[in-house]
Amino acid sequence: MVMGILLAIVAGALVSLQTIFNNQVNARAGSWATTTLVLGMGFIASFIASLIFEGSATFSLQNMKPWYWISGAIGVGVVFCLVQGIKRLGPTFATSIVLIAQLSTALLFDTTGWLVAQKIALTPGKIIGVLVIIVGIIVYKFGDRWVGKAARSKKPSTSHTLGQ
Amino acid sequence: MLKGILFALLGGACITLQGVANNRISYDIGTWQAATITQLTGFILAALVLVVVRDGSWKDMRQVPALYWFGGAFASVIIFSEVTAIQYIGVTFTIAMLLIAQLCMTFVIDSRGWFGVLRRKVTVPQCIGVMLMIAGVLILKL
Repeated sequence: MVMGILLAIVAGALVSLQTIFNNQVNARAGSWATTTLVLGMGFIASFIASLIFEGSATFSLQNMKPWYWISGAIGVGVVFCLVQGIKRLGPTFATSIVLIAQLSTALLFDTTGWLVAQKIALTPGKIIGVLVIIVGIIVYKFGDRWVGKAARSKKPSTSHTLGQ
Repeated sequence: MLKGILFALLGGACITLQGVANNRISYDIGTWQAATITQLTGFILAALVLVVVRDGSWKDMRQVPALYWFGGAFASVIIFSEVTAIQYIGVTFTIAMLLIAQLCMTFVIDSRGWFGVLRRKVTVPQCIGVMLMIAGVLILKL
């Protein structure tokens, strides 16, 4: 339990850091050059980690199912969707929807048990909890506008993610 | 507008799907291997798209401070942590904690102006937003 929470926090902090690094690259190079670089770096780092922690088991892929080979396409789809969404809606609105969609989809996977080890029952508490988190996301993203601090900078938000 | 919303919804759903798919794959071949395979296949596909759309050029990469080239490397630890967290605490709780940590980290970086980010003060609505999210997680676990 505590381990799971800690790992999720590590992942979230690193997503934020990675997003900022990626945005720095994206500001000068195009989004596909950025994506290619990001995924290439991710591959190299994962491969090295796999060699260190798994040794030769890195290459024992006999349990691969065919769709595993195209799973990387999901990440590419993420980048395409985010770029399109941000272009049409602006970063604040787009990333709010992205965060909400992330959480809602998570609840969907847990309650249907699709692709996950154990199904988690959908209780009223789960639904209320997710709704409160969604309200939190909206307040986080739009609260400043409501308060009317128009003097604040218009720099695009750094909290959207471009794939992982 | 509607199209933008659909893209954003699909993008968010795919981010979670990515974590869940990596989780599924890790059962069969191991977590680091899953991270390696998905990043490799994603890299190949992105490179193909890059060749087709010719968006930007590699020459521009030289203007980027070298430190930022390595942002992608974080993905290995992100995938490993996320997949393992899903196994311990389920998808919803994992994503909720991940998002809170992500926004808090962005908070810190924005307020310090680290990594070339335009320095911004943390505002009251942002604090309230994060507190609501934490409250939501507590309700989730009741």
